[in-house]
Amino acid sequence: MSQLIANMLSKQLGQKTVLHGVNLHVEPGELVLLGGRNGAGKSTLLRCLIGAVEPDAGSAHLDGKPILSWQPKARAREVAFVPQDTEVPFEFTGRELVTMGRHPHRGRSEPLREEDHKAVDRALKLLDAEAFQERSVTTLSGGEQRRIAVARALATEARLLLLDEPTNNLDLEHALQLVTLLRQLANEGHGVLVASHDLNLFAPHCDRVVLLHNGRADVDAKPEEALSPDNMHRVFGVQSHTPSSFFPRNFTL
Amino acid sequence: MKQRLPLLLVGLLLVVAVLHLAFARVSPGLGSLFEWLFAWAGTGDGLSDMDRFVFADVRTPRLFVAVFGGAALALAGTVMQASFRNPLASPDIIGTAAGAAFGGAIAIVYGWSQLAVIFTPLAALIGATGVTALVFALAGSHGRFSVANLLLAGVALNTLFGALTTFIVTKSFSNYTASSQVLFWLMGGLDNRTWDHAWITLGGLALFSALIWPRVRELDLLTLRDDSAHSLGVDAVKSRRYLVWCACGLTATTVANSGGIAFVGLIVPHLARLLVGPAHRLLMPTAALLGAILMVVSDLGCRVSPADWNLRLGVVTAIAGAPYFLYLLARQRNGVRL
Repeated sequence: MSQLIANMLSKQLGQKTVLHGVNLHVEPGELVLLGGRNGAGKSTLLRCLIGAVEPDAGSAHLDGKPILSWQPKARAREVAFVPQDTEVPFEFTGRELVTMGRHPHRGRSEPLREEDHKAVDRALKLLDAEAFQERSVTTLSGGEQRRIAVARALATEARLLLLDEPTNNLDLEHALQLVTLLRQLANEGHGVLVASHDLNLFAPHCDRVVLLHNGRADVDAKPEEALSPDNMHRVFGVQSHTPSSFFPRNFTL
Repeated sequence: MKQRLPLLLVGLLLVVAVLHLAFARVSPGLGSLFEWLFAWAGTGDGLSDMDRFVFADVRTPRLFVAVFGGAALALAGTVMQASFRNPLASPDIIGTAAGAAFGGAIAIVYGWSQLAVIFTPLAALIGATGVTALVFALAGSHGRFSVANLLLAGVALNTLFGALTTFIVTKSFSNYTASSQVLFWLMGGLDNRTWDHAWITLGGLALFSALIWPRVRELDLLTLRDDSAHSLGVDAVKSRRYLVWCACGLTATTVANSGGIAFVGLIVPHLARLLVGPAHRLLMPTAALLGAILMVVSDLGCRVSPADWNLRLGVVTAIAGAPYFLYLLARQRNGVRL
């Protein structure tokens, strides 16, 4: 069971200190929402957590071991990541891209095994992407490309899943399907951390919400408490109201 | 069908290789070629010593340099396009070939190439690696290489190293032999290639292909963003550096033995992707075969063209390649992905 912990993470990008002593943990079976204003450091935090960026201070640990000391393929079998930008400059098919998710499980010259094909099929099915798996990614819509990117992460069969704005470009039905899928994965024992601005969509399904503010994890609590009017005002500078009119509506699948 | 295409290309390469051996402005021709081949197989004779010499020691090494050099340039272009995530990257566009030419010119002008035939490719490799490292520094940021940055860095470095090469050549005008040799070489061509050149080209191709092949799947992953490649277990920065260095080696090998051959490294990967798609396990052998075919056909064009044209191989590939490059730029400008 994989556990991910950020311990007093700090990171400066250029002249700006983006993260300033962030503490965060993601446990198996949890769906955690990471929120914050634009530029609050959500993406940088995720990149530190997967070991793509070395923090200036503090550390990230996977199963008690510093993330930077993990062997790359072993780490990739434990933590999967869906970045915000999923553009690919060449005409791979959707299936070819999802199959890349099997790289951490394969030796350098090892051909695809039966279990690899099965993992790819399963991931495509979970993302409802079977219909366009043989199409070139350059002909897919933004939402379809994003579903392929999430399917690639699932094909790694990692126990921890980190996603950066995964519902960007998704239509309402597929956004709801994705949230439901992430909840289901958490229920099966995966740890899931989602950075998103779509608080209304994710919050009802999350176990915890972490809000980044002024470079720190300013709030880390259950959704009802985390998204209280006071916190929303302090972190986002907005007033929040209980629905009293026609909008917002609740949507379900 | 896609899987069988490399076999078809091997057949096509054999056909153009036979044409390349048989056709030139002067005899011996096709009939003599078959006589030579039969004699080689032990079932015929009757060929004059001169004809045998022409086939065995003039045309065959030239053919081999064309085949191995074309394959090496195509592989170098394919590796660079994936590594830079940019379909317009290639050794001659980003300045790698100019760096190789600069290194090679120094080796020739200062007489190192006379000491041992390997010194020209080694000097070319140092030049190619140095210029490519500069491109990394100038055009890239966190593994991202925009088209504009890459092309601008390429223009700057091509101009700079072209000028430095010219300086080296003009400075050596007092040494007529060396300066004429380097000028002729810079124009790109396969005249007077010997078995030494053929073996060195084959050696470079074999060495750097062998270094690339075990990591061929990483090329697929490098076409994703660095964060994605990293999350799938590839150290994108290290992997890119290693693979691009191998591409420099392939470029240097070809430039040292054939001079400046433009656009093969740019065009061939595109043609290969059209045929078999972008997955590198199939793309790489396809590109290598297409590169070899293109180079052999271009050189054949030089050899059968009128003698007073003095047509050079680098000129043929540039005339064929430049319009294609402009076409690719226009497509990208119109928002079509390449």
